[in-house]
Amino acid sequence: MNRRSFLRGAAGAGLALGAGLPAVRLRPAASPAGPSPSQVEARYYVKLPDREIECRLCPRSCRLGDKERGYCGVRENQGGAYYTLVYGKACTLNVDPIEKKPFFHVLPGTTALSMATAGCNVNCKFCQNWEISQVRPEQVDHFHLSPEAAAAKAVSSGCPSIAYTYSEPIVFFEYMYDTARQARSRGVRSLVVTGGYVNPGPLADLLGVVDAVKVDLKGFSEGFYKAYVRGALGPVLETVRAVAASKVWLEVVYLVIPTLNDRPEDLRAMARWLHDTAGPDVPVHFSRFHPMYLMKNLPPTPVSTLEAARETALAQGLRFVYIGNVPGHEAESTVCPGCRQTVIRRLGYAVDTSRLKKGQCASCGTAIPGIWA
Amino acid sequence: MASAGGRRGFDRARQKGHHGSAMGRPRVVVVKSSAVWTPAGTLDPAVLARMFARGLADLTGERDSAQAAAAIFRPGERVGIKVNTIGGRAISTRPEVARALAAWIAGGGTAGRDILVWDRTSRELRDAGYAISTGRSDVRVFGTDAGGAGYENSLTDHLDVGSLFSRILTEFVDASVSLAILKDHGLAGLTAGMKNYFGAIHNPNKYHDDGCDPFVAQVFDAPPVKSRHRLTVVDALTVQFHRGPSYHARWAAKFGGLIFSRDPVAADHAGWAVLERLRRDAGLPTLEAEGREPSYLRTAERMGLGTSAAEVVETVVGAGP
Repeated sequence: MNRRSFLRGAAGAGLALGAGLPAVRLRPAASPAGPSPSQVEARYYVKLPDREIECRLCPRSCRLGDKERGYCGVRENQGGAYYTLVYGKACTLNVDPIEKKPFFHVLPGTTALSMATAGCNVNCKFCQNWEISQVRPEQVDHFHLSPEAAAAKAVSSGCPSIAYTYSEPIVFFEYMYDTARQARSRGVRSLVVTGGYVNPGPLADLLGVVDAVKVDLKGFSEGFYKAYVRGALGPVLETVRAVAASKVWLEVVYLVIPTLNDRPEDLRAMARWLHDTAGPDVPVHFSRFHPMYLMKNLPPTPVSTLEAARETALAQGLRFVYIGNVPGHEAESTVCPGCRQTVIRRLGYAVDTSRLKKGQCASCGTAIPGIWA
Repeated sequence: MASAGGRRGFDRARQKGHHGSAMGRPRVVVVKSSAVWTPAGTLDPAVLARMFARGLADLTGERDSAQAAAAIFRPGERVGIKVNTIGGRAISTRPEVARALAAWIAGGGTAGRDILVWDRTSRELRDAGYAISTGRSDVRVFGTDAGGAGYENSLTDHLDVGSLFSRILTEFVDASVSLAILKDHGLAGLTAGMKNYFGAIHNPNKYHDDGCDPFVAQVFDAPPVKSRHRLTVVDALTVQFHRGPSYHARWAAKFGGLIFSRDPVAADHAGWAVLERLRRDAGLPTLEAEGREPSYLRTAERMGLGTSAAEVVETVVGAGP
C-alpha cells in the first residue's frame, strides 16, 4: 500500500477536503544531530531459537523477540541479533568539576569530560536526569562522537578524566568500554557513575579499563529498590563488593530521601556493611534529595537528617563521610583521620584549599587514600 | 450469497449504556469472514467494509452508519485511530483495516481531515505498509515522532505510571479508537486493545515487569487515554497465537475476524478467548498453564475500566453484498 492508494481509498469512501488538524512535518531521515540510532552489535547476549535473544548485560535478563527492545530502551533485537542503538551517540557532553560527580578522592580540583547517552536499566522515581535517562535514543537530540573523538576531546579540553555519567552508563556499555580504552591510551582516566545494576561478567571486563567507579546506592532494602527504583538491591551490593575487591577506586553515594530510605537502623546497617565489605576508607556521600520527576510530593532532605546519617556512618568506622548537595556545608571537606585537620577544603564543586602532599596530610603525614595524580 | 449468517444473541437495543450495551450489559461483537481474503492472499476491501458496517451496527444497535457513528462520536470531534505497527508488515494492524475504519467513520459524518491514523513512529507505520500523509486535506497518517507532534512536555503522573503522552492523543484528537492487532505476548500474555496504548507513551519499555500488570490498566486509566477512548477494534484477521509479539509464521493463523467493543476489557477478553481457541487447536497449553495469563485484565476490571462478563455476539459476513 502506498500513500496514493491510502488516500484514494479514503477519498473513495467520501472523505472531505479541508483543514482541521494541526500542521506537522516529518523529521528528516538524517541530520547532524542524528535522530537515527546506531547499529553496533551488543556484547553480552545469547541467541535463542526463533530469532529471540536474551540480554546478559544486567540482572534483568531481558528476553526479546524480533524488533523488541530491552527495559533500557537502547538495545534492540533486530532479526535475531542484538544491537546497541547508542554507540557513539552522545546526548550530553560537558566539562564538569570532578567534584560534581561526585568524586572527592580522585584528582580534586580538576575537570572531567562528562558524557552520556539516552537510557537506563532502572526507573527511579526520584531521577534527576529523567529527560535523558528515561527516554529512547530517538527522543533526544544527540550527536555522533566516536570513542576516539571523545578521548581526543578530553585532552583538548584539558580534562584528565572522562566521566560516564548523568544517565546509566551500563546501558551504553560498548561505547563506554571502547572510549575508556581510547582514553587510557592517551593518559586520560575513566570514571563511571552508575547505579551498579550490572552482571558480574560485564563488570569484570569494565573494571579492566576504568579507573574509578561511583556507585549510587539508592537504599538498603529490597523493598525500597522494588518500589522506588524498579530494580533489586542484591546485584548492586555485589557490584560494590566487586569494585572494592578490584584495583579500581570506589566511592559510594547515598541519596537520603525523607521517610523512604532514611531510617537510622537502615543507615547503620548500610554503613556497617560498607565498612565490612569495602573497608573504612571508602568515601561515602550522603546527598540531599530535592523533589524531582515522580517524587515531587516530598520535601528536600533536612540538613539535620544528613548530618545524623553522617554521624551514624562515622560511628560505624567509616573515615571519609561527606554531605552532598548542601553547598558550603563543612562536611564537603576532607578531614585527615589522623590529626583531624582539614586536608581539602571544598566550597560547592570548587576546591578552596588543599593541604595534600603526595597523597598525605601536610600536617601529620597520614596517607589519604585516593587517586591524587 | 447472504451477508449474514451464524449471527446470534443480537437484539436491536434502543437503550445503550456507556459501553454501547443493551440494558447496561457491555457487548462485544466478533465479525468473521473467510471471504475477506482474496485468492491472491490480499484483503478484499469490499468485504472489510461490510465487516465494519455489520460489526458497528451490531455493537450500537443502529443499522444506519451515521446513527451508529453518532452513538460513538460526537459531532465535530477529531478522531484518532491508534494502530499497532511494531510488528512490521507481517503482524501489525493492517493499513487496509485502518482505511476501512476511517472510511466508516467518515461515512458517519466526520470530515476526513478530522481523522488521524497514528502510532509511535512514522518509520514503524511505513514498515507496516502505511503511506505517511501529513497534508491538511484528508485522512492523515503519521507517527508521534513527526515534527510538530512529539510528546507532551509535562509528565502524566498517574498511580504507578509516569509518562509523557503523545501530543497526537492529547492535543490533536478529541476521541480515540484503539485499532489493535491481536497477538500473544511473551510477558503480558496478550496484546490487544488496551496494551495498544503503550504506543502512546514515551517509555513503554519501563512497564513490562510483572506481566505488564498493573501498567496496562493504569496507562489506560490515565486521563489522556480514559477521557478519549471510545471504541476498541481488534484486528484478528491474522493472529499471532504463540511466541508473540514477534511474528512467527508457524504460530500465526488466519482467523479472519474483527472484534468490536466499547468496553476495553471486554474486547480484550474476547481477543484472549480467540487466542486460547487457536492455541488449543494447535495443541498448545493455555496462557494460564504457561503462567502468563493477562492478569492486567483482572486489574483493569477491578479498576472499573470494563468487564469480563460481556455479551458476546458472533457474526459471519459472506462474500456477497
